[in-house]
Amino acid sequence: MNANTQDTPSYQIYCRMTHEAAALERLCQVVRIRGFRIAKMTMESSGEALNIALTLEGSRPIGMLQSQLEKLQTVVAVVLDNELAEKRDIA
Amino acid sequence: MNGAQHILEAFRRHHIDTVFGYPGGCIMPLYDALVDDVGVEHVLCRHEQACALAADGYARASGKVGVCIATSGPGATNLITGVANAHRDSVPMLVITGQVPSALIGTDAFQETDVLGMTLGIVKHSYLVEDAADLPGIMEEAFRLAASGRPGPVWIDIPKDIQLAEIDTRGISGPSAEPEAPVDISEALAMLRSARQPLLYSGGGVSLANAEEAFRAFAESSGLPAVATLKGLGNTGPSHPGDLGMLGMHGSRAANRAVEECDLLLVIGARLDDRATGRLDGFAPNARMIHIDADAAELNKLRQADIALRGELNSTLAAFTQAMEAQPLDIEQWQHQCRTWHTTGGFHAADNEDPYAPIIGPAFISQLSRITPDDTVIACDVGQHQMWVAQHYRFASPRHHLTSGGLGTMGFGLPAAIGAQFADRSSTVINVTGDGSFMMNAQELATIRRYNLPVKLIILDNQCLGMVRQQQELFYSNRESQIDLDDNPDFLTMAKAFGIHALHINRNDQIRRGIETLLAYQGPMLLHVAIAREENVWPIVKPGASNTDIIDESQRKRTANKEHMA
Repeated sequence: MNANTQDTPSYQIYCRMTHEAAALERLCQVVRIRGFRIAKMTMESSGEALNIALTLEGSRPIGMLQSQLEKLQTVVAVVLDNELAEKRDIA
Repeated sequence: MNGAQHILEAFRRHHIDTVFGYPGGCIMPLYDALVDDVGVEHVLCRHEQACALAADGYARASGKVGVCIATSGPGATNLITGVANAHRDSVPMLVITGQVPSALIGTDAFQETDVLGMTLGIVKHSYLVEDAADLPGIMEEAFRLAASGRPGPVWIDIPKDIQLAEIDTRGISGPSAEPEAPVDISEALAMLRSARQPLLYSGGGVSLANAEEAFRAFAESSGLPAVATLKGLGNTGPSHPGDLGMLGMHGSRAANRAVEECDLLLVIGARLDDRATGRLDGFAPNARMIHIDADAAELNKLRQADIALRGELNSTLAAFTQAMEAQPLDIEQWQHQCRTWHTTGGFHAADNEDPYAPIIGPAFISQLSRITPDDTVIACDVGQHQMWVAQHYRFASPRHHLTSGGLGTMGFGLPAAIGAQFADRSSTVINVTGDGSFMMNAQELATIRRYNLPVKLIILDNQCLGMVRQQQELFYSNRESQIDLDDNPDFLTMAKAFGIHALHINRNDQIRRGIETLLAYQGPMLLHVAIAREENVWPIVKPGASNTDIIDESQRKRTANKEHMA
C-alpha cells in the first residue's frame, strides 16, 4: 500500500537510545506498527548511546507514537520537533 | 558457577519454584544444571506453546512471574503464540531460550532462528546475551521489568556457550522496589463529585497491579455502578450491588446502557479495547472521562481523557477511598436506575424445566457457577463457551478467571489450567473449553496425567466452531465455511487413553449430577457436554458497530421473519 505522502502529515523526532542489540530494529518496528512511515533517518553513535533523527509520515497522532517509543527499554528520550510541525501547519 | 547454574540461582533468588519447559540441543546446559537443582520444579509439557501458556496461567493465578524454557529454533518459535498471549494481556513472564553457540549465530546453523528479531513485537523487552559477564545483570533486570509497571513477557535468548561459561556472581543484588510518587487526585475527585451519573469501568489492570482489595474498598465506599471488561470480571467481587457485569460486544444490555447514559466514566486499569468499546465515536457519548492506568501509553491512546492519571493503582485508589469515606457521593437516583437496568437487562440464563431437553450452554454455565466453590479457578478457551462463562459465571476474584482476552488464543485453557493448578495444588481448577479449542492443545492431557493434577475439564461440544458459525450466520448470510467438526474424536475414549476418567452428559437433568460428579472426583476428570449446534451468544454487537446497536435473540428472530416474509 502506498501512502499518499502529499496529504500525510510529517514529523521530525529525535530519539536517544542505548546501543544494544536490535535497538534500531525495535525503533523501526514500533514506528511501522503504530502507523508511520520513515521518510528519512540519520543515526550516529556516541559511546553507549545512539542518536537518531527521524522524519516520519503518518496520519495518526504523533503523540501516540512518542509514548509508545518511550516505553521501549532501550529508549532514553524522544523529542518531537514541535516548532517544525507548527511551521508546517501555518504554511 | 556456570551460566546455566546462575540462571537457576536467579530463579531461587526471585522465589521462582516452578518453571514450564521442554528440553533440546541448545538449552541442554540448563537442563543439565536442573538435574542437580532441588529448588526449582520443572514441569515438562508436551509442546512449547503449552509451556508458555502454562506459565501464563501460573502467573495469572498466582500473581508471580511465570517462567518458560525452550531450546533454539522450533522450540523458540513454538513459544511465540504463548508469549504473544502474555504480551497482549500484560502477564508477567520470563522466557528463557537456548541459542546456537555465539560463533555459529548468523551461519544458518542447525536449529538457528533469529529469536531476538522475530519476537520484537510480542515482548516487553528482550535480550540476546552476547557476553557471559552480562548474564547476571540481564537476569536481574529481566525479572524487574517483567513484573514492574505494566507487566509483560521478557525474553532472554542465551547461546549455548554462554550457558557453559563461568560466571562471576559477585555483587549481584536482590530485587528492589522503587516507590512511585503519589498521584494528585484532587482534580479527578472534583470531577467525580460534580457528576450526576458516574460509572466505574475497570479492566485487567486492577489484578495486574495486585490492587483488588483497594479497588473493592473504593467501589464499596463510592457506591459507583460498575461495568467490567472481560479481564476485569471479578474486580468488584460477587456481591457489589452496583455490578452490571461485562460491557461490549457480548456485554449485557444493562452494562452497555449504563455506558451510553453515564455522564462520567472513571476508567481504571483498562485500555478501551475495541471489543469493549465498540465503535469509538458512539462510545459513552455523553461522558467526560477520567483514565487511570500504570501505562502512560494507554492514556489518550484511543480516546482523549479529560483527566489522565498515570500511577500505581493501590495508592491512587486508597486516596479515592479516603475521600469517599469522608464525603460520600450523592448518586442514589443513578444507582437505582442502574439496578433497574440490571434487573431487566442483565445476564439471567433461564433454567429449562424439561428434564429431557438438550443442554444449553448459558444454562450449564449458570449452574456451574452456582455449584462450584467460591475459590474455583476457571480457565477458558476461546469461543462461545468463553463468552458464556464471562456472562453467566460469577467470579469472586479476577484471579479466578483465566481467559485469553487480547490475543484470543484457542488452546489457551488447558495449559493455563495446568499452570493454575501448579500455582495452588489444593485449589479447584476447571478448564471450560469447546471442542475446537480443546483439540488445539489436547496433548497436554499427558501433562495432567504425568503430574496427576486434579484439573477438571469440561468440553462444551457443539460439533463446530461455534463463534465462527454464529458470525457467518449473522453477518455472512449464513454461508457456513469450514466450521464443521462433526468428525471430532470420541473425547471419552481419548481421555481414557491418557488415563483420565471421563463422563458424557447431553440432557438437562444430567447437568447437576455431572458437575457434582466432576467436582467430587479425586483426580483429573473430563466432563463431555453435548450442546446444541445452533445456540448463539446473545447479545452481540457487530464488529465495528456501536455498542448501542445490540442484536439480541428476539431481534434476530424478528429480522429473520421479515426476511422470510420479503
